[in-house]
Amino acid sequence: MNELDCTVCQTLMHGYLDKELDPPTTATVAGHLAECAECARLHDQAKLLMLSVKRQAPYYTAPASLSASLFVPVAPPPGILERWRTWIAPAFSAAALGLAVVLYVATPASEQPLMDEAVSSHVRSLMGEHLNDVVSSDRHTVKPWFTGKLDFSPPVVDYSAQGFVLLGGRLDYLQHQTTAALSYGRAKHIINVFILPTPEADTPQKSQAIRGFNVVSWQANHMRFVLVSDLEKSELEAFSQLLKP
Amino acid sequence: MKRFEELFAPHLDAAYNLARWLTGNDSAARDVVQESALRAFRFLHRFADGNAKAWFLTIVRNESYTWLKASAVHHWVAIGDELPEENAALSHSQTPELLAIHTENVALIQQALCALPPAFREVIVLKELEDLPYKDIALVVDIPIGTVMSRLARARAMLKLELLKLHDHE
Repeated sequence: MNELDCTVCQTLMHGYLDKELDPPTTATVAGHLAECAECARLHDQAKLLMLSVKRQAPYYTAPASLSASLFVPVAPPPGILERWRTWIAPAFSAAALGLAVVLYVATPASEQPLMDEAVSSHVRSLMGEHLNDVVSSDRHTVKPWFTGKLDFSPPVVDYSAQGFVLLGGRLDYLQHQTTAALSYGRAKHIINVFILPTPEADTPQKSQAIRGFNVVSWQANHMRFVLVSDLEKSELEAFSQLLKP
Repeated sequence: MKRFEELFAPHLDAAYNLARWLTGNDSAARDVVQESALRAFRFLHRFADGNAKAWFLTIVRNESYTWLKASAVHHWVAIGDELPEENAALSHSQTPELLAIHTENVALIQQALCALPPAFREVIVLKELEDLPYKDIALVVDIPIGTVMSRLARARAMLKLELLKLHDHE
C-alpha cells in the first residue's frame, strides 16, 4: 500500500493538500506521509507556504470606477451586432421606405386600373343594348338627364359638324365612383368618353393602347377624361382636342 | 445586457485580481478587464450555460497574455519549463527555510510571486487566492486537468525557492 515513490508523492501531496484526490489515492498519500519523514517535511512546508500566500498575498479587488464603467448605467461599448442594430438596420429601413415611396410615386399604379376599367366598360357597353341610358344627339336632352344622377356636371357637346356625333349618355361606375359616360359615333366606330371628378391636379394628355383599344386620357379642372375607342389613335387624339376647352 | 451583468458582475474582482497579478500594474489590469468584459459581452451568445467565472477568467487570462506580449515590460522571455531544479541542495537547511516560508512579510510574498513566470504565478493565484477547483483551473489555463496538480507542485516549489532567495538577501 505504501509503495509510493517519493517523487510521485511530492506531486501528489499537492492534490492531497488541495483535497483533489480520489479517496484511494488520498489514503495512499496519507499512508506514505505517515512513514516518510522527508515527504512529510515537504508536505508541511507546502502547507505553510499555502497559508502564507493565502494570508499575505494581496488580493486586488476591482476599483469601483471600473465596475461602474462596466455595469451601471452605461453598457459596455456595443459589439458589432449591436452596432448593426443601432445604425445599419435603421439605415436599411429608411432606404427601403425611400424605395417604396419612390416606387409608389413613380408607378402609375392608380392609373392603370382606371384605364383597364374604362376599356372593360367600353367593351361591355358595346355588347348588349346598354350603350346609352339616354339616347339623344341633343346635348340639351343629354346634359339635364345627368342632373340629379351625378354630383358633378359633365360637359356635353355634340360635335356632329366635326364628324363626331353625340349618341347619348349613361351612368357608369369607375374607381368606386359614379361616372358620366358619353358615347359618340364616328362612321361605324363608337367612342366612349368617361368623365369623373378627381381631387388630383391637372395632367397632360396621354395616349395608350390597351387590349387593342386606343385610350386617351387627361385631367383638367379636377375632371378626369378617359376616351376609349377602336378608332385610330390619331383620330381619337383629334377628337380629344375638341373636348378640351 | 441584464444577463451579461448577472453573469459577470459577481466575478469582476476575480477578473481584476488575475489581470493585476499577471500584468503587474493597475492601469493594465483595468484595460485588460475592460477589454475582456467587451469580449465576454460580444461573445455572450457562445456562452451556453455553465461556469461563468471560469469562462470570464479564461478571457481575462488570454487578454492578459496579449497585453504581456505587446508590452515592453518583459522580464522573463520564457513562460517556460526550463526551471532550476537545484532546490534539493537547499532543502536540507531547515530553519531558514521555515522562516522564509512562514513569512509575515507581505512585500516579500508579493515579490516572490511576481518573480515566477506567469504560467506558474497564475496557478498559484487561481488556487490560493481564488480557490478554484482543479477542473476550473484546467479550463482557465487551458491545460489538461491531469497537468494542474504537477503545475501547482512546481509553482509552489519555485515560490519556495524565490522566498529563500529573498530571505537570504535580507
